[in-house]
Amino acid sequence: MEFRLKNDLAEIQLLAEAVETFGEENDLPVKAIFQVNLALDELLTNTISYGYPEGGQHEILVRVILQQEDMLLIEIRDDGFAFNPLENEEPDITKDIDEWPIGGLGIHLVRQMLDELEYTREHDQNILVMRKCINLS
Amino acid sequence: MNIKEIKKEKAIVLMIEGRLDSSSSGMLEKKILSLLETGEKNFLVDFSGMDYISSAGLRVLLMAAKKTKPAGGKVVLSALTDNVKEVFDIAGFISVFSIFATQEEAIQSF
Repeated sequence: MEFRLKNDLAEIQLLAEAVETFGEENDLPVKAIFQVNLALDELLTNTISYGYPEGGQHEILVRVILQQEDMLLIEIRDDGFAFNPLENEEPDITKDIDEWPIGGLGIHLVRQMLDELEYTREHDQNILVMRKCINLS
Repeated sequence: MNIKEIKKEKAIVLMIEGRLDSSSSGMLEKKILSLLETGEKNFLVDFSGMDYISSAGLRVLLMAAKKTKPAGGKVVLSALTDNVKEVFDIAGFISVFSIFATQEEAIQSF
């Protein structure tokens, strides 16, 4: 499936609904779809909130492809500010909550929800390619 | 997202319905901040009608916990659905908040 969303936080829910429909059509486990949607939400929230300091309307492309019967390939392409979310420092969750960095929590969730993440910057675009193994049993 | 507010003797009960994410978390933040200003310090947030939370929602709960603490108050949570519980687990929030199976049990903790 392919989904184009505007740089507006409210659009993330529309994407989530489209991903849910895709999951139902392909008989994918509800839990895996929830995890993919959470990861997409965290990443897109970052892009939409911080990727366009000059404002204006932009389009972000999201692709979700069933690569094998148990592997999802997920891709996000945006033309926002060059930003590699994988360089974000992880929070040390064993520390007291007062010491957690505010921004690190989202990317921590993303890493836990997905299996592979790869960032490239190409033609003024941020490209994130991710893989999610699906436990079909 | 909808927030239903019920004032009980020991705490303010906030029942969240729908998604607590980056586009709705500001609404909950405002609600809690305005209640703090009126002197409320004990909050019970009930998630029985909430099926989704992202880090933006977790951040608001953390903010509420931090702000109520110096006033001698607290934030407790009840009725987490499975998806929400998983996010709490992974974020390490299970150990940060007192979490109860039902609203009735949670209100007893104040």
